[in-house]
Amino acid sequence: MTSCDRTMKTDLLVVGSEGAGGPAAIEARQRGIDVLIVTKGKISQCGASQMAGADFNLDGKSAIALGFPGDERDSPERFFSDIVREGLYLNNQRMVEKYVEYCPRSIKDLMDWGMRIYTYESAHAEEMARGVIASGVLWVRAIRKKVKELGIPVLQDHMVVDLLTTGGRMAGAVALDIKTGETVLIQSKAVVLASGGWHRAYRTTSGPYDLSGDGIAMAYRAGAKLTSMEMVQFIPFTVYWPPKARGSICLYIFSQFPGVGDFVHLVNASGERFMQKYDPQTMEQSTKGIVAIASELEVEAGRGGPNGGVFFSLEHLGPEMVEMIIQGVKAQFIERFKEKRHEFTHLLPELLEHCKVGRIECGNAAHYMLGGIKVNERAESTVPGLFAAGECSGGLWGAVRVASACSEAGVQGKIAGEAASECVSKVSHVSADEQQVQSVLECITRPIARTQGIRVAELTRRMHDVSGKKLWVIKDGNGLKSALEELKQVQSELEETAILGTKSRRLNDEWIRCLELRNLLTCLELSAKAGHARKESRGEFFRRDFTDTDNDEWLKTVEIAKQDGEDAVSFEPPVVTSITPPIGRLTFQEAIGVATASLTRK
Amino acid sequence: MEAEKTIRVECFRYDPETDRAPRFETYEVPLNGSMSVHDCLLYIRENLDPGLAYFINCKLGFCLRCRMMVNGKPCFACLTEVDADIRVEPPNKTRVIRDLWSEDV
Repeated sequence: MTSCDRTMKTDLLVVGSEGAGGPAAIEARQRGIDVLIVTKGKISQCGASQMAGADFNLDGKSAIALGFPGDERDSPERFFSDIVREGLYLNNQRMVEKYVEYCPRSIKDLMDWGMRIYTYESAHAEEMARGVIASGVLWVRAIRKKVKELGIPVLQDHMVVDLLTTGGRMAGAVALDIKTGETVLIQSKAVVLASGGWHRAYRTTSGPYDLSGDGIAMAYRAGAKLTSMEMVQFIPFTVYWPPKARGSICLYIFSQFPGVGDFVHLVNASGERFMQKYDPQTMEQSTKGIVAIASELEVEAGRGGPNGGVFFSLEHLGPEMVEMIIQGVKAQFIERFKEKRHEFTHLLPELLEHCKVGRIECGNAAHYMLGGIKVNERAESTVPGLFAAGECSGGLWGAVRVASACSEAGVQGKIAGEAASECVSKVSHVSADEQQVQSVLECITRPIARTQGIRVAELTRRMHDVSGKKLWVIKDGNGLKSALEELKQVQSELEETAILGTKSRRLNDEWIRCLELRNLLTCLELSAKAGHARKESRGEFFRRDFTDTDNDEWLKTVEIAKQDGEDAVSFEPPVVTSITPPIGRLTFQEAIGVATASLTRK
Repeated sequence: MEAEKTIRVECFRYDPETDRAPRFETYEVPLNGSMSVHDCLLYIRENLDPGLAYFINCKLGFCLRCRMMVNGKPCFACLTEVDADIRVEPPNKTRVIRDLWSEDV
């Protein structure tokens, strides 16, 4: 019987060390709980948190209480209502209430841990910008400092490959030491997953290379219910070319800068400012979702660039004016924030410099996953002892995320830490099921032993081809259906024929990517399945064959769980506390509050 | 798309478990627009040799775990632009785990 190379025992296992995992572990440790963090990278140098802007939400009243110049007219109630209204009513309102309530506490924690805050932004009119701005790097460093100060053990460069359940309860997990190739059995009473989204399922994404939906796929395999997997946010203006800057969203952020953002033109290959056709009133400043769809329609019509994008242009300003903007950006942002590890510092000026003589090809990128592990307002999943926090969880945002994902991570991390602490103090360890451990080990080592088959890179390419066409910004029923079949095919080939060039277990990069690919395919398949089930368009989810937002039929979330080895889809009305969702059928544009936009190709 | 030019990337390869000594392997990488050392390694991994081990996370200058030696100088792979042939080595050749990944990465 094969068993793990090493064994560890802890009361609470936290998977992920950054924006959500860090605060979860800190909260538990401060309550005297024995906690272990396992992270696929190094603390403060992995995941998506470090790449964030980073904005943290704080309603006006709470801001004043914390000593910021908040707007008195704003309130937690108004903040709550904005999130639910703009989330198009699919939010779990109990989770939103808790989010609004915990945002100030989460910021207070970060300030106590030494996170420097650059500036405060107040809510103006209907805009959602309310809160403080720091930077992702400052954020994760503050968390790392606190984790070290509390002496929380961190297992770095370890990938958790599967969760273990005994009699339906969490028993721990199996992890793989990436550097040595050793397997580790981690026995724990409860698990908090804080492992982020499944960004790398898409060829073009603004997310880092380690976000591979591990937590979501593992939770699903362990029987947890997932929700809203079809809700994926795409962000326009992401750099496609040059390669060095590919995936950077600094041009999008630039387009939102007050004062200079209005200068940005988005043009197609023939130099036409195409937003004129789709949203003539607000043009490039239209809602993110509309710009994303319009960009895709242009590319579809053959008016895109060589890399499948459209173009960011400042050509109409002339080189002198662009130089003035560069100097302005340097003075206003770069010199003020003195942030070396930031794309604004090293990429933005370079890209703007290029705009003096040409355009930059840009387009949509998979940016944020609204769906994930179904949790309640206590971060509890449907599996006893399993908690989820941050991007890997679902339910908070409904159909559009308008508030901060950084705050989401901090708030849910803190909540998960609290709830998991209570949980582990009530239950005792259950021993891991040896057969389950063995089957996990067999499953992960199979590709190493195999000598003939298909390389992981080839299978990854095929997955990206499917997600880039059929699970991209504009979807339709046939595409979603065939995507599901094709992904299932890739998944079965991965299971049966994947081979690795390197046979050793030590730091076998390709092996790690093979294990990640399985999770990515699972997330994508479930996203296709949920998308196929939702026969309407809403918020971040747009279907060409059902363009209306139908509040009579579709005010419900799509949930998927494994039942007897099959994916069982169910529909549930969102949890409502104080805002009753509206009735009636609206066009997609009306529903997201854009009156003027046309979403047909011209 | 047609490449603007092609460069040679000499990569340090070493598996202390099985190899007697490190060796260099040379790959031809087409340059297309401004590319970083990291873009070249990614091209190699995706198109020429999926077994090449090196660290990648953000590729945009945040995580700073892509420290390596390029033409004998320490640098971060994602922040270093390439316009001619390069030689890429791990940051510490005495503590290599595999290829470009040494203990201090």
